[in-house]
Amino acid sequence: MERIVLVGKPNCGKSLLFNQLTGLRQKVANFPGVTVELKTGQFDQFEVVDFPGTYSLHSLSKDEEIAVEKLNLAVDDDDTRLVVCVLDAARLERSLVFALQVQALARKNNKAVVFVLNMIDEVERYGLDIDIKALQKELGAPVYALSAKTLKGVAAFKEALPGLAKQAQAPTELNIQLGEQRKFIERARAINAEYGIRSDVVLKNQNRIDTFLLNNVLGGIAFLAIMFFLFQSIFTWAQPLMDGTEAAIGWIANTLTGMIGPGIVSDFLNDAIFGGVGAFLVFVPQIMVLTLIIGVLEDSGYLARAALICHKPLSLFGLSGRSFIPYLSGHACAIPAIMAARTIESPRKRLITMLTIPLMSCSARLPVYALLIAVLIPKDATFLGVFDLQGAAFFGLYFFGILMALVVSTLMNVFTRKSKELKDMPFILELPSYRLPHWKPLFQRVLNSGVQFIKRAAPVIFVISLCLWTLGYFPQGAGLENSLLGKIGHFIEPIFEPLGLDWRYGVAMIMSFLAREVFVGALGTMFGMSGAEKNIAGLAAQIQADGLTLGAGIGLLLFYVVALQCVATVAMLRAETGKSRIAWGLYAGYGILAYLIAVIAAHIF
Amino acid sequence: MKTLWELKAKQAAVVETINSQLTGPVISRLQEMGFSEGQQVVCVRRSPFKGPLVVQVGDCVYSLEQAVAEKINLALAS
Repeated sequence: MERIVLVGKPNCGKSLLFNQLTGLRQKVANFPGVTVELKTGQFDQFEVVDFPGTYSLHSLSKDEEIAVEKLNLAVDDDDTRLVVCVLDAARLERSLVFALQVQALARKNNKAVVFVLNMIDEVERYGLDIDIKALQKELGAPVYALSAKTLKGVAAFKEALPGLAKQAQAPTELNIQLGEQRKFIERARAINAEYGIRSDVVLKNQNRIDTFLLNNVLGGIAFLAIMFFLFQSIFTWAQPLMDGTEAAIGWIANTLTGMIGPGIVSDFLNDAIFGGVGAFLVFVPQIMVLTLIIGVLEDSGYLARAALICHKPLSLFGLSGRSFIPYLSGHACAIPAIMAARTIESPRKRLITMLTIPLMSCSARLPVYALLIAVLIPKDATFLGVFDLQGAAFFGLYFFGILMALVVSTLMNVFTRKSKELKDMPFILELPSYRLPHWKPLFQRVLNSGVQFIKRAAPVIFVISLCLWTLGYFPQGAGLENSLLGKIGHFIEPIFEPLGLDWRYGVAMIMSFLAREVFVGALGTMFGMSGAEKNIAGLAAQIQADGLTLGAGIGLLLFYVVALQCVATVAMLRAETGKSRIAWGLYAGYGILAYLIAVIAAHIF
Repeated sequence: MKTLWELKAKQAAVVETINSQLTGPVISRLQEMGFSEGQQVVCVRRSPFKGPLVVQVGDCVYSLEQAVAEKINLALAS
């Protein structure tokens, strides 16, 4: 198929233009281990490829290197008919540096180029004007002024596009070769001086809002308010959706097993398929809601400000200012948090952030915490006479998770400082203009996050779910205690002995690898209780009567704070880092660390 | 010589050179982002506790941390 390539600097409104051209149907290609995303859509008979926004053809990181490599391949490809360079009309100089480089690349490969002067509405709002005809002559290529947001000029551009793709590259007098870096900069500056609008006019608005949002006091309050809102929304908005998904899966499971009738097939469907794989689908709405909010923050321009505010304190622990949102999101679910880490500029800091996110107490740990705290701490106990001791314990566990993450990231920072493979990018962040986000790119992004998660995590979850179910189900009718899993539990009981726990806890811990909250239900089964998830107080009373020691209980709690007991997270880490070694190594590493902490706790208390 | 890091809020200056302690690719990226010789920079804001500073360079506003800002040498504007 004939191809049109779309390029431009970050924040030039390229994604929205892509959406306006291709509609809402698009495919996203990802490459393991890097954040590069190539979006492909269709316009007329053309395939339109949207390349990631970048400042230069000279790459700084692995991610940029791959993006530039793909761009080189695409421009070279015989099917490519046209390269569209998107410019930010209000920031002509900055967008031209990259666009001129791309023009030179296209010329080398004998491909036609067209410039799009996007966001022309912003220029017009100030009563300003850009001489398109003269600019066209200057650049030696057609220039289309339009606004992907207000749709002004988009129809005309769409109409002209097929013709532009057929026309040969117009010869230009001024030829800069690809290597002559300085000349691109100088020429961009010269063109801007001639045609560009005055920068202080554009930046006035943005700087005015920043005097408030970056103010030491007011900005801090605004930051806390926005983050509180973000945190709340993950729980409150996503909850009904999660409940809905759970109910829907339950209904399908019931209907289906009702039709089949009791037996091994229906047990398999109910427990392995709907129970195991279904339990992870429940997280899809949460991931999508979180992606939506992060998308709004990013497209509005606030995300860059949040990163600026957080940069200094987080850099003390070897993290970036952009690690804050992933960390915060990690308290809901590690998976969208790991996805959110894609915005971190330095590959090294991105890796450190991703590897420490699982230490945040995610919502799947809540039932485990709730159960064990109910066992260990009497309901009306107080701490220092004022604080509810149960509440204080919850707080302590969250705090312990964050503390561990900061310790681990500091250590990882020290050990990877010399790594050649993980280059450090300096913290240079463009603060884009504040803009009202457009729903189309957001919609794409939200949808894509759900699809990505399912694609990446479903296969691993299916396998693990199948294994656990088989081990727990056979020999048939024996019950979990006498199943293969129970036998394994007895066999490996010595491992749990230093923790002060017996084989029943061991089995529940193995089962909870599917998702941490499974621990409660599994432990309930071991204590001969069904539906323990709904009756945590009842199970807590049984465990108390059974005699769980304080040390073993605290150890178990701390184990769940640290251990990477989540197959979906491991799968996601594997996909994002591109290395199984890292993902499973981290699983083993946190497992051992958690075990040691639990042993120590069991002996102290 | 003064560096970008020493610029006070609302102060303007002109970029002169970039310290060659930074690697080649980083230097050229900085130049491509606007920190090229003769370009005027205005410090928009300083953050407390030596946090990143905010500068306006040409048509963009950037936030830079100390490690980078220290490497950009300035000639003070008259």
